[in-house]
Formats: sequence, structure tokens, C-alpha cells
Amino acid sequence: MRSLPVTEPVLLILLSLAEQPRHGYSILKDVQEMSDGQVSLSTGTLYGALRRLLQDGWIERFEENRASRGRQAYRLTPAGRRNLQLEVTRLTHLTRLAGLRLARVNPDLVGVNREGEA
Amino acid sequence: MLSLYRFLLRLYPRAYRHEFGVEMLAVFREAQTETWKKGVLARGVFCAREVAGLLRGALGEHLQAIAGSDLLTASRSRINFTPTWSGSPTKRRFTMRSEFRFPKATAPLMALILALIVVAIEKAKAIQASLPHTNPHVGPIQPAQFTLFSTVLVVVAITCAAGLLGWAILFALRRSGLHRLSEFNPSERVGPVGGGPHRP
Repeated sequence: MRSLPVTEPVLLILLSLAEQPRHGYSILKDVQEMSDGQVSLSTGTLYGALRRLLQDGWIERFEENRASRGRQAYRLTPAGRRNLQLEVTRLTHLTRLAGLRLARVNPDLVGVNREGEA
Repeated sequence: MLSLYRFLLRLYPRAYRHEFGVEMLAVFREAQTETWKKGVLARGVFCAREVAGLLRGALGEHLQAIAGSDLLTASRSRINFTPTWSGSPTKRRFTMRSEFRFPKATAPLMALILALIVVAIEKAKAIQASLPHTNPHVGPIQPAQFTLFSTVLVVVAITCAAGLLGWAILFALRRSGLHRLSEFNPSERVGPVGGGPHRP
């Protein structure tokens, strides 16, 4: 099983698969959309990550009825979903902690953090 | 670009190509079709990203194949990382296993190379001592005048040489059969060896 924390591209791939099973190109587009165009994965990076996630049992192949060769879909396994949830919890905790620490240095940021939480 | 992509795909290990090659090519085609509508700059960025991604990916997959996927995944899986927010320390346990084995011929070969180098050095010293010191005075060595073209040529040559050397090392390690260790499962060896009669 892959160790936490995961890298940003892997996290984005997992988030893309959290909603529904997707094939490679759909993952590329979704990652680009989620990151506002900031992260554009190459096919080499995408399939390297998918290969490792498959090997670690975080994702699995999903058989589509009308799938042609070259349009293999993937989906999260229960273990992958659980680990993604753990990672999101870890990041949430980290963000909250960062907000608190920054607010101690600069109290003006407290209002910003509260707005962000709201 | 498609032919370049196909060529770069060949740099991946065969098993990886067999599993993902067709799929990667199909995804690349889709991405290329869309990017080609966006203009020259987008095409350039897309090509550079794809080439870099493939080269990095191929190198990573080869390294993984050489080191043994079992070794890498095993070491990862043994890092027991449990995120706890109550202040208790996170538990981490590393178990290191040495599965890397050089071929048996490595040590004698290295010893032979070392011996040849030592002999060559001694021979050169003997030749130097035997020559009379009547050489005319040689002036200070002038630095070579590098133009932009020659500099680029030298850099490209060095990069190619380094790449070839790296590739040769990877190839030699693969020839040693090291990568097969990760797929070896002793429990699958059932029945008598050599096809003899099975004794109950």
C-alpha cells in the first residue's frame, strides 16, 4: 500500500476518480479543470501514477459496456477511498494548523481564515 | 509527433508497454487533437511536456524494474503511517531487505580491469623514464576558443554519451536477470522437479 502523504498529481487523480470511474483522457481533462489549468499531466506521468496506484490496490480497472481498446476506465477501490479520505483529513488539519500559526504572527489573518472557513 | 511518441514508448519496459501502450497512445491522440486547435504555443508546450513525461516515466519504470517492484512496494508498504491528531507520535517502521545482487562475474571482471590499469600506468612510467629529455620547451597552453556551435555540439555529445552509458548499465543489469526476482514465487513451485512421477 502506498504511504501517505501522496504527491499533488496523485491526489488530483484520486480526487478525479472519487466522483465516478473515468478513463485516461477524462482524468487528464478533469485534473486540468480542478486545478484551474495549473496542473497539466502528461500521459507518461498519468500512466506512471495509475500503474503504481493499481499495484498498490488504490484503484482498479472498471469494465465499461461500450469500451473500446484504449479507453480503459479506472475507479477507486474501497481501500483507495479510505486512504484518500485520510489524506484529505490530514490536509484539512494541516491547513487549519497553518491558519492558526499565521494568525498568531499576524492577527489580521484571523478574519481571513474565518471567512475562508465560512 | 505521433511517430515520435511511438518511438519514445519503446523506451518503456516491454511489460509496461504491453499493459498500457495502446491506452497511452489513444489518450495521447485525443489530447493532441484538442491541443492542435489551440495554436502554435500550446502545441509546443504540449510536445515538450509529453516528451519530458515519457522520458522521465521510461527511466522511472526501468529503475523500478531493475530494483524489483517487490522491493520498492514492500518498503513502501512497511511504512506504517497512521495519521493521528491526538498528539501521539506517528508510527513508522522501515524494513530494509537487500535483494540487489551483482552478477558473479562482476568481481573478477573489476579486478581484471584494475590490474590492466595498473599495468598500463607502470608501462607508461617505464617508457617515460627511458626517453631522453631533449624535447623542446612547449609554451603555455592556450585555452580553446569555443564558439556557440561547438559548445552546443560538445554539450550534445556529452549528453548522448552519458545517456548511452546509462542505458548500457541498465541493459547490463537487466541481462543479469535481476528483474525476474520480483516475479519469483517459491510457493508456485508445486509438483516434482523435472517432470518425474508424482509421489502422493
